[in-house]
Amino acid sequence: MDNYIIEMLNITKVFPGIIANDNITIQLKKGEIHALLGENGAGKSTLMSVLFGMYKPEAGIIKKNGEVVEINDPNDATALGIGMVHQHFKLVEVFTVLDNIILGAETTNKLGFLKKKEAREKVERLSKEYNLQVDLDAKVQDISVGMQQRVEILKMLYRDNEVLIFDEPTAVLTPQEIEELLLIMKNMAKSGKSILFITHKLNEIKAVSDRCSVLRKGKYIGTVNTSDTTIEELSEMMVGRKVDFNVFKKPSEPKEEILRVENISLKSKIKKGNVVNNVSFNVRRGEIVCVAGIEGNGQTDLVYGITGLEKITSGNIFLKGKNITHASIKERNTNGFSHIPEDRHKYGLILDFTLENNMVLQRYEEPMFQNHGFIKPKAVREYSDKLIEEYDVRSGQGSVTIVRSMSGGNQQKAIIAREMDKDHDLLIAVQPTRGLDVGAIETIHKRIVKERDEGKAVLLISLELDEVMSLSDRILVMYEGEIVGEFDPKTTTVQELGLYMAGAKRMEGGSK
Amino acid sequence: MTFIFLFLILAVIIGGFSVYAILTTKKAKANGYETWLMKFYAKDSVKTIISSVTAILLGLLVGCLFLIMFVGSEMSGRSISGFDLIDALQLIFFGGFNTGRNEFGSLIYGWNGVSLGNMLFRATPLILTGLSVGVAYKTGLFNIGAPGQYLMGTAAALIVSLTIPSDVIPPFIIWIIAFLSAIIAGALWASIVGLFKAFLNVNEVITCIMTNWIAAILVTSLFDKTTGPFNFLLDPSGDKNYKFVYKTAHNGVETIKLGLDKLFPGSQINAGIIVAILIAILMFIIINKTTFGYSLKSCGSNKHAAQYAGINSKLYITLSMAIAGGLAAAGAALYYLSGNTEFTWSTYQSLPAIGFNGIPVALLASCNPIGIIFSASFMAYLDISGLQIRNMTMYNEYISSIVSALIVYFSAFALIFKQILSGKIKLFRKKKEDISNAVDTRFKEEDYNVDKKEETDSKEVETTEEGGTE
Repeated sequence: MDNYIIEMLNITKVFPGIIANDNITIQLKKGEIHALLGENGAGKSTLMSVLFGMYKPEAGIIKKNGEVVEINDPNDATALGIGMVHQHFKLVEVFTVLDNIILGAETTNKLGFLKKKEAREKVERLSKEYNLQVDLDAKVQDISVGMQQRVEILKMLYRDNEVLIFDEPTAVLTPQEIEELLLIMKNMAKSGKSILFITHKLNEIKAVSDRCSVLRKGKYIGTVNTSDTTIEELSEMMVGRKVDFNVFKKPSEPKEEILRVENISLKSKIKKGNVVNNVSFNVRRGEIVCVAGIEGNGQTDLVYGITGLEKITSGNIFLKGKNITHASIKERNTNGFSHIPEDRHKYGLILDFTLENNMVLQRYEEPMFQNHGFIKPKAVREYSDKLIEEYDVRSGQGSVTIVRSMSGGNQQKAIIAREMDKDHDLLIAVQPTRGLDVGAIETIHKRIVKERDEGKAVLLISLELDEVMSLSDRILVMYEGEIVGEFDPKTTTVQELGLYMAGAKRMEGGSK
Repeated sequence: MTFIFLFLILAVIIGGFSVYAILTTKKAKANGYETWLMKFYAKDSVKTIISSVTAILLGLLVGCLFLIMFVGSEMSGRSISGFDLIDALQLIFFGGFNTGRNEFGSLIYGWNGVSLGNMLFRATPLILTGLSVGVAYKTGLFNIGAPGQYLMGTAAALIVSLTIPSDVIPPFIIWIIAFLSAIIAGALWASIVGLFKAFLNVNEVITCIMTNWIAAILVTSLFDKTTGPFNFLLDPSGDKNYKFVYKTAHNGVETIKLGLDKLFPGSQINAGIIVAILIAILMFIIINKTTFGYSLKSCGSNKHAAQYAGINSKLYITLSMAIAGGLAAAGAALYYLSGNTEFTWSTYQSLPAIGFNGIPVALLASCNPIGIIFSASFMAYLDISGLQIRNMTMYNEYISSIVSALIVYFSAFALIFKQILSGKIKLFRKKKEDISNAVDTRFKEEDYNVDKKEETDSKEVETTEEGGTE
């Protein structure tokens, strides 16, 4: 017990309606790299926020070097030598690298002038020691994302932090940058720093970590020595066995093709190269095709490309045999698309509009809701009331509620109601059950299956493997912008999917 | 005396009402039902009005303090006495109704057709520039280019109304042609800004400011005394040789009065105010009742969602600017086509203030077109009150302008008062625990707030560390 630098014992953190961390114990040895593995929403980030003092747990204690400590806010965490690299960096873009590193921990002389020379020496020494080359005089806005991350790491080292938390550090990096980062992490561990590494990429865990703790849906599953385990075992621990989440459905009877995507590519906005690379697939009437994959592997952009929110750089899209590659969003909407967007606040809703106005977002120009350019308020109200009733959208004042004041789950239900009720041939649902409680998830799943049975084509994009397995008729796995495999859910296993999702395996030739 | 008496009655009514409100609310809360007053107060529009009025009253209060500060100082050749102060305080509120002084030297009030008529006349272009800013704002655009659009409208209205011979075409028809051509000129001018914004994503504030000055120079060069192509429209009469363009009355073009001059004898008022109000109502209907308005508002509220819904935001951004430009230009046309207003053509050094005043007018009314009618009238009333203070007391015109400015300045706080009323801003902080809870829920509910919170957290870290190293 004496060699644990940080121990989080029996941590429980409850948010209204959900237990984010349920009695979780994690012990970090000095000088080890400890991976924290789990699906999205498993409670990893919440747990780290507890350690970094951003949340106060309902139960449980935190020990440092065997002594109980109280961490009330990030100041306490910093004082205890705990540093964190956030997924989204906290840097001042217009400052130089050096200024960013010393910001907040400046040493000054008696007159209050900065002692930059000393600071520079210290940073230079550190960057040599840990092999973290950065141009100290470059402005942060001019350097690459990988370099910015190095700045963040140097910031922690400059403050002499002993415990370093990395929150999904590889999510924004290119493969080479990831390799470099993993090397740096190993170096730091060797020189006595203890590292907590949040991720859901199994390869990385296998590559660098000494031990790995797995969380699933807020519960602690176990801790294993990475060297004693295989990627398959880890993925099983992460995803878990099938829960009683079986959606009853008949075997699918696919009919004619609704959507065909041919060799489409999209340019990435953050890094070089394509974020979606030469993807082809089709969706037929009466089937649910699911694109599975770990977040950030191009699924979002694929949907943007198909729906027209972003321009594709190459390839063609066909809807019911018609080429719609250059069609406007409106044409796509009126000719058969329904789209439940991933980002409900950005795309799905106009938060400052009333619920009823949001319910007719794409449809207010239909003759049902307007007469010579004048909106028929009565028709809109009746329609909105009908959807609210049918889809159980709960809000303070019904149709006239400002959407911003509604809870996330009900906002999501409103979008689902709108998109499912709209006349469509193809439903593109991105993470349709995000933020919903179990009961609502069940209803939504049933509705999606019903859509299929009614002869609609469904393209589902989901990060939840449970959802993927129980709903889809066909699974496409996306990894780094490409489709690396196509599966039949009846003949494949979650473990197998996990391997493809993490990039450990791929089918030659991509999708068939 | 009557003034003080009125004030007392008002105080008693307000006091009595608040006592009634407090008592009934307390009782209702204890027994778990809602009174009409509570329901009334819960409405968003009521909160808007209350907060606007509070903001204005606060501005008046500070304006009064400002007036008090100058008591005893020398101004207009005589030192300001306490009587001046009392008169000025009355005039801020009731200046528009002042009809002079009685034989004892105290102010008397009544129907002052000149003041009130002029107020409405001044409000006319303000309503339209306010609408110009407000409509653009609904689409998420900040139209600071109203002065330029106003100038283009002025030039178009004057040129058309003065060059079409009135002995061939009836003046009434000329008026309509001039009015419409002003609107078209302003719309085209503003759509330059819209196109830049829509297709090149150039910030509209930059292009607005640039087009403002381009318009000023363009209009000046059009009427330039020696080289301008329209210098034959300059009025050589009077001692201000060639400083002004002819009044449109020179060609017989005048806005009809519709009997309003009987109601407000001696003032400049004409039917323009009615046109302005009708346009405001029209804009209200367009924005709130039509699919076109829905599209405009969607683009302004959340352009991503508008894009998602298939609304062509480029088109609507351009259209919104064009409408804004047309409105500002319509204001100019109504002002200069009245027949008796003079236009100084040499505007290249300054932009028309009416254009800029559209901004506070619109913001004061939360960009509600109907509200803009009232806020523009309010601004015009303050102008008239200022004039009365200058005329009736020893305070000079600058002081009265400052007081008006203060009131406008404070009215910009209306939004903050509204947030206080709806409990979004807490005046008094509660216990620390409550705050942290509040932070927690916010943290959970809105994913995109997470970054913000973390930012503040890291800032806190930084500050304490700074303390530590000293």
